[in-house]
Amino acid sequence: MGPNIQGIPFRLGVDRVTNVIQSGMPGGMPAFAGQLDAVQIQQVVGYLLTLTRKDEGKVTGDAAAGKRVYDSSRCADCHTISGQGGDSGPELTTVGQSRGPGYLRNTILYPGTDLPQAKVFLESGGQLEFLFVRVTTKDGRTVDGTRVAEDSFHIVLEDGQGKFHSFRKDQLRQLEKAPGQSTMPSMKGKLSDTQVNDLVAYLASLKGNP
Amino acid sequence: MRTALVAFGLLLSTPARCWSQNVSYERLLHSQSEPQSWLTYGGSYFSQQYSLLKQINRQNVASLKIAWMYQPSRPVANLECSPIVVDGFMYITEPPSTVTALDVRSGLKIWSYTPALPEHVVSIGLYATSRGVAILDDMVYVGTADAHLIALDVKTGAVRWNVHVADNVMGYAMTGPPLALNDKIVVGIAGSEAAVRGFLDAYDAKSGKRLWRLWTTPRVGDPGAESWGNGAAQSAGATTWNNGSYDADLNLIYWGTGNPAPDFNDDDRPGDNLYTCSLLAVEADTGKLKWYFQFSPHEDHDWDSDEPPVLFNAAIDGRMRRLVGFANRNGFYYVLDRVTGKFITGVPFVKETWAQGLDANGRPIPAPNQEPTLGAGTLVYPSITGGVDWTSPSYSPQTGLFYVSAHETGAYFIKGTGKIEPGPPKGIVGGGGIRALVGEQSYGAIRALEATTGKLKWQFKLLASAWVPVLSTAGGLVFSGSDEGNFFALDAETGKPLWDIQMGHSARSNPISYEVDGKQYIFVTAGNTYIAFALP
Repeated sequence: MGPNIQGIPFRLGVDRVTNVIQSGMPGGMPAFAGQLDAVQIQQVVGYLLTLTRKDEGKVTGDAAAGKRVYDSSRCADCHTISGQGGDSGPELTTVGQSRGPGYLRNTILYPGTDLPQAKVFLESGGQLEFLFVRVTTKDGRTVDGTRVAEDSFHIVLEDGQGKFHSFRKDQLRQLEKAPGQSTMPSMKGKLSDTQVNDLVAYLASLKGNP
Repeated sequence: MRTALVAFGLLLSTPARCWSQNVSYERLLHSQSEPQSWLTYGGSYFSQQYSLLKQINRQNVASLKIAWMYQPSRPVANLECSPIVVDGFMYITEPPSTVTALDVRSGLKIWSYTPALPEHVVSIGLYATSRGVAILDDMVYVGTADAHLIALDVKTGAVRWNVHVADNVMGYAMTGPPLALNDKIVVGIAGSEAAVRGFLDAYDAKSGKRLWRLWTTPRVGDPGAESWGNGAAQSAGATTWNNGSYDADLNLIYWGTGNPAPDFNDDDRPGDNLYTCSLLAVEADTGKLKWYFQFSPHEDHDWDSDEPPVLFNAAIDGRMRRLVGFANRNGFYYVLDRVTGKFITGVPFVKETWAQGLDANGRPIPAPNQEPTLGAGTLVYPSITGGVDWTSPSYSPQTGLFYVSAHETGAYFIKGTGKIEPGPPKGIVGGGGIRALVGEQSYGAIRALEATTGKLKWQFKLLASAWVPVLSTAGGLVFSGSDEGNFFALDAETGKPLWDIQMGHSARSNPISYEVDGKQYIFVTAGNTYIAFALP
């Protein structure tokens, strides 16, 4: 019903987008003035800024071959495409819509260097980053995983096997957060250049059902 | 039958308390003599957010439990109301402008009043909420989303008078609680993002007649007009959208003011832009400006100074002084002499990059290249939300510490186009915007500062920047919350966490404390709910 708003702050400018959210569009989008305050509107604009593709890049591989690389590399153990696969990594059903080939290639080779936002939302409108965490309990148990939920007193992790672990922080001996690290293994040296190009082509083709 | 008779007998033997609702100015003035009540927005005229109650203390707070809850009849969000508790009643507001009286023992509703608002209430740059009421004698007073001040009967909620404070069509709105003094009701106004001209008003408590108005930006020929370099004909901003404080001995009201308009584009307003982003000391009888202190001259990051000023008395260099403490949105904590407005000290309480420091008079020394810029913007600390926004800090006379819910985050400030046009505003006259830092780069903390110096005594780190005011108590406790929905108690001396509960939504109101039937309560809001806590 509405237009594709990906990258719209860069096309129209921050002010104009702010005013559209504030005042709406004739015959279309309602005005959000009164429902959202100034800070909230700016947070929406900030979020829209993050939706812009980080690069355009170029697809040089073969998507069908890339699908075979995806299967043989067991990517589906952690990622879901159209309802099939694991959920410890980000959902990829429409990853080709939000990520360019350059970003996809970088993530395949160097996971963790440019992590996406996680599912952890804050009430003030912010969102926490995808984060690899290692906890050590007071009895010496260590659990590695991805942060699923967190507040100032608790943290919930999902480990590599898809199991959830909930902790009170004051019951931990150590809580190590590793921004820039990922549970995803690097494919560098494991896949050939051709295979990487093909995998990028496959992921870039994933834009959801028409 | 016998069981029923015994139960009935027990009921009869429980004394039924009854009160006559009448809250004189003398009671407001001496609020410390009845700590069982919570008589003003900040607990006293000094806005210290401090309770003398100590039944709930370091030793037993771990047992704190929910005693009762109240929810409005229709879902609302961002409950920012701080209740008034007195004589068996609790007076709350429900967004946008409903006033409700509850039985303070049970949370049951006694009466509710909802003003008739226009079909389209103009709310530009603000959320149409209400931070509460004021009480004086036999009336409660509320400012409404369409900028009316209404007096209600304390027992029934019947309207006693209703005055039109300002034109909502032009973007004026009221979100802050009134301040009740001896015979007058003082109110501020919101709407800086609609480029309204701010003011502070006083009304006769009995009749609603306006007694005085202090405009908070000048017009051509007024004192301060020279601080608007392109002429003060269109000076706008400096709204007064929160609550103020009062020193009865000096008969001075202390009230903060908001940003100039447009927020981020300063092309048409060279100069200091008085009296924006300032603390004003105002003569209560006349509305005349006694002194002002401008925290952020020529401000262009939307750092209002509308947090309630905290009044306290303490020794500086061995001499007792009347002071005001202010943790400003610009990231500095200030101590001023509240008799003269003279700057005593000011230090950053969060990371800030926009000033190299403060000079001997407290004026910031600007750091280079920290203005909003076109395109991707300029990274500046603190963010638009400031080191702290409107949420009340707390001062404990017991510890001498000033507790503030601090935001540690920056933002890219982006300059855009923005001009003040005549007539009703079409949207935010912001002249730009921001792109906030997210994730692990941003966090919050409850910080305890030495009130006279601003020196950090301790901090309790929070996952994210929080929007929860602070309460300290004579039980040696500090209550506040997190953006993730935690509400907690800390040791006021050390910051050690002693109790916490996940409420499912962040608190947004001042935590307060009161006592009824010998039992102390802690009260706060979360999401759509008003919650009272007590020991089992």
